[in-house]
Amino acid sequence: MTPTNDELIAEAMTEEAPLLPLLHRIHERDGYLSEEALRSVSKGLRIPIADLFGTITFYHHFARDPGGFEAPRVCTGPICCLKGAHDLVAQLDGATGMPCSGRCDEPIPVIRGSQTFVGLSASQLTLGDTPVPPAKVGDYEECVFANIRSSDRKTIEGYRQTGGYEGLEKAVTSMSPQELTEMIDQSGLAGRGGAGFPTGRKWKAVADAKGGPKTVVCNADEGEPGCFKDRALMDHDPHAVLEGMALACYATGSPRAFLYLRYEYPETEHLLVNAISEAEAAGVIGDDVFGTGIKIKIYLRRGAGAYICGEETSLLNSLEGSHPFPRNRPPYPVTHGYEGTPTAVNNVETLASVPPIVLRGPDWYRNLGLGNHSGTKVISLSGDVARPGNYEVPIGLPLSTLIDEWAGGVPNNRSVQAVTMAGLSGGFLAGDDLDVTLDEPSIRAKGSFLGAGGIMVFDDSRDMVEISHMAMEFFAEESCGKCFPCRIGTQRLTERLAGKAGPEDLEQWLDEVSDLNKTMKETSACGLGQAAPLITESLLKYFPQAVQTHVIGE
Amino acid sequence: MSDETGRTIFLDGEEVPFDIGETIFQVAERYRKDIPTLCYDDRLEAFGGCRLCVVEIEGARTPVASCTTMAEPGMRITTKSGSLEMHRRVLLEMVVSENREVDVDELSGYASQEMKNLVDRYSARTGRFAGDKSGVSRPDDPNPFILRDYENCISCYRCVRVCAEQEGDYAISIMNRGFETQITTEFGGLLKDSSCTFCGQCIQTCPTGALGDLKALRHVEVEEPIEKTRSVCTYCGVGCALDIMTKGDQVVGIQPAMDGPANEGALCVKGQFAFDFVHHPDRLKTPFIRDDHGQLVPATWDQALDKAAAGLLEAVNEHGRHSLYAIASGRAPNEAGFTMQKFVRAGLGTSYIDNCSRA
Ligand SMILES: Cc1cc2nc3c(=O)[nH]c(=O)nc-3n(C[C@H](O)[C@H](O)[C@H](O)COP(=O)(O)O)c2cc1C
Ligand code: SF4
Ligand code: SF4
Ligand code: SF4
Ligand code: FES
Repeated sequence: MTPTNDELIAEAMTEEAPLLPLLHRIHERDGYLSEEALRSVSKGLRIPIADLFGTITFYHHFARDPGGFEAPRVCTGPICCLKGAHDLVAQLDGATGMPCSGRCDEPIPVIRGSQTFVGLSASQLTLGDTPVPPAKVGDYEECVFANIRSSDRKTIEGYRQTGGYEGLEKAVTSMSPQELTEMIDQSGLAGRGGAGFPTGRKWKAVADAKGGPKTVVCNADEGEPGCFKDRALMDHDPHAVLEGMALACYATGSPRAFLYLRYEYPETEHLLVNAISEAEAAGVIGDDVFGTGIKIKIYLRRGAGAYICGEETSLLNSLEGSHPFPRNRPPYPVTHGYEGTPTAVNNVETLASVPPIVLRGPDWYRNLGLGNHSGTKVISLSGDVARPGNYEVPIGLPLSTLIDEWAGGVPNNRSVQAVTMAGLSGGFLAGDDLDVTLDEPSIRAKGSFLGAGGIMVFDDSRDMVEISHMAMEFFAEESCGKCFPCRIGTQRLTERLAGKAGPEDLEQWLDEVSDLNKTMKETSACGLGQAAPLITESLLKYFPQAVQTHVIGE
Repeated sequence: MSDETGRTIFLDGEEVPFDIGETIFQVAERYRKDIPTLCYDDRLEAFGGCRLCVVEIEGARTPVASCTTMAEPGMRITTKSGSLEMHRRVLLEMVVSENREVDVDELSGYASQEMKNLVDRYSARTGRFAGDKSGVSRPDDPNPFILRDYENCISCYRCVRVCAEQEGDYAISIMNRGFETQITTEFGGLLKDSSCTFCGQCIQTCPTGALGDLKALRHVEVEEPIEKTRSVCTYCGVGCALDIMTKGDQVVGIQPAMDGPANEGALCVKGQFAFDFVHHPDRLKTPFIRDDHGQLVPATWDQALDKAAAGLLEAVNEHGRHSLYAIASGRAPNEAGFTMQKFVRAGLGTSYIDNCSRA
């Protein structure tokens, strides 16, 4: 029998972070969020109706008209646009575009209800399946991908065949939380979600913070265009992510952890639900971890379509059911996170790196990097390369080695014109700056950053102004609207890159754009608005001629 | 403000003391630094949206919003520099570019000139950053009090925050995101169908006049200058301080007194909007006494008081002192209420006295 609003609400009220799961259940049950249902939710969860309404409209995917849940959403991210995404939108009845949905290594993805299809035209759509990372090319040892290609890796039995959950067992039975944290600190592991903060230090800060219960959050929002590594990890190695979360819980003294999954990965949700129940049934997480009496509960929560919800404080607001604006920092989540408790927010890849480190030791991990760099990084490589996909590289690997030797180079006898860094957030590298190694200091020296490790490759036939326009349009659509420089700046830059507004005089045009760049970079309230102008900045730096043609013609 | 603790920061080179929990902006304001703001209202939790209040802290990578950043011992802060002033001007040029107009009538509301004044101070009417305008106005909302002219909205969310934090009404919220952001009620409806109490607080905190006082705006065309007279609301015993705005002899509107000791800028719908009785043709201007034919005829105060005293005495004499029952008006201030009960107890000799807000 279909549950009523009241039944769903009563169920939700017994749960942690109830708003999003409740809305998803109603969304799936009714095919949209009706006014009547929202009024019941407002009453039941005691959220003012105006606030609830405003918050619903913040998310891309909550439909407010009947049938909206099943209506096709076509990825119109930069790479999919190059593959003809807009034609596909036109071909499909009732279809709308959605921002990059994290499948740049596949044909164009289309989400319908809870299923993802992929294809280049309406007649070719087939159910999507996450590609396994391409076979290892170089001699370098991998960390998170080392065992990911084995076939029954998704099941707990398969995972345990190569030492799965042994790291957790070792930690909870023979190490103190401090020893574990110390070990991670020594490994040099730093955040793989964008900001690169040292993981051991973050855990220590949470462990040392006053108040509780403490909380771990696995950030699986993966909204950065051109990033699809977290999906590969979760789809092919879900238990590694869960084990990493449990280790983070043990290190920080948290009895609970949330995995915040982006809306656009519906299949991953089911997979993770299964993995969590398998792990609970096996007693490796849950109320009595490995018979030690330690309690570690893992909750899965799903976003509803908002890139900013990957920003950790916006994510926390979203989990709590409030309007997902980023919070003002300090205080940081390590002291004031989920519901004000000390919280460690970590990326999927960061957490998946932890179990192998615990098993093989910090020195092993440290030595995986080249030169004096520690460890590895998964790069999501897409665009004009022969073999797009996720590659785990030793930190410090030359970019050209990755593109030419590992991924088969640029097809059609073309050459690299530009690549993006950090998905889109790092802007472009081009020209001589393509001669760079994949590590944060080298890339920062060129005015960009490695971040979450998405790299899109554009060959010499691509129109860089048009690509910049698509990139800026993404930031404009995803700007949360909290702060002036980003809310207005992303819009104005998009209009200028589209040729829809702005001075006709080149010098004035450049003045306006660089003033916007500077003020956005220096005064925006969060990383989105600070990073968006890297697109225009690098466009002006590497492609002044193309910009001139765009503004004043040939 | 104690400096016995040795807790100090350096503000533009000058060492100044501060209290724990004070933001850089609060300290700077105390030292009259005149940092510009648009999303700030000192009654509300600092929000950090407009970014005009950015200051430089020595050692920090980028400027920080002074309204949301706590002062910490030893901080070296610059409140004004070439680059800060450049950012402030660019930010103002940006908000000018998204609005229909900068100049709105002062009658719009208490804070309605904030944006205009800053735009002029920073010479930001340059026409730069032209492009789409933001915000959809709601001329379809027929309420007689609040103009909802969102084409002049700069998304500072002061209205939403005052409604939630000060009023506890949660009538309005923020819809969509980014440049599409829009102030809304539940499901985009009319204010009268929301939990709005028409207190007018959102109008008075709006820095652009996007929300305007419709009753006051009826008098825009009257040529005379606006004069403000501090007074106390006559509706209830709280005693909210307010400024009566007049043009010549005409009361044109009410604004709350932000420094009112009882209300700190708050008013309710009555104090804010219910002043039409002042100039109403039916308004009583002298006492009236009913003549032998039952007709009301104008009288002097002495005549009226004599008549009332005689009537009260007659009732006491004929039916006893407990035949009288007095109700003090809820609109009377405490002092008047006190006098009333004194008169009833000592003068008439009964304890049958109550107040209308209880009765
Ligand atoms: C606009 C924006 C979007 C972000 N999106 C993500 C994301 O999708 N996934 C993620 O792990 N981190 C994201 N981050 C970084 C998080 O704020 C945070 O630094 C990270 O989750 C911390 O985990 P880590 O230390 O393991 O990297 C984003 C940051 C910004 C500013
Ligand atoms: S920078 Fe953009 S996304 Fe971040 S708070 Fe400001 S408006 Fe929101
Ligand atoms: S008039 Fe008062 S109750 Fe109504 S929206 Fe404004 S602040 Fe809220
Ligand atoms: S209506 Fe006024 S107070 Fe409300 S957000 Fe817009 S500008 Fe700010
Ligand atoms: S006053 Fe500080 S950001 Fe607006």
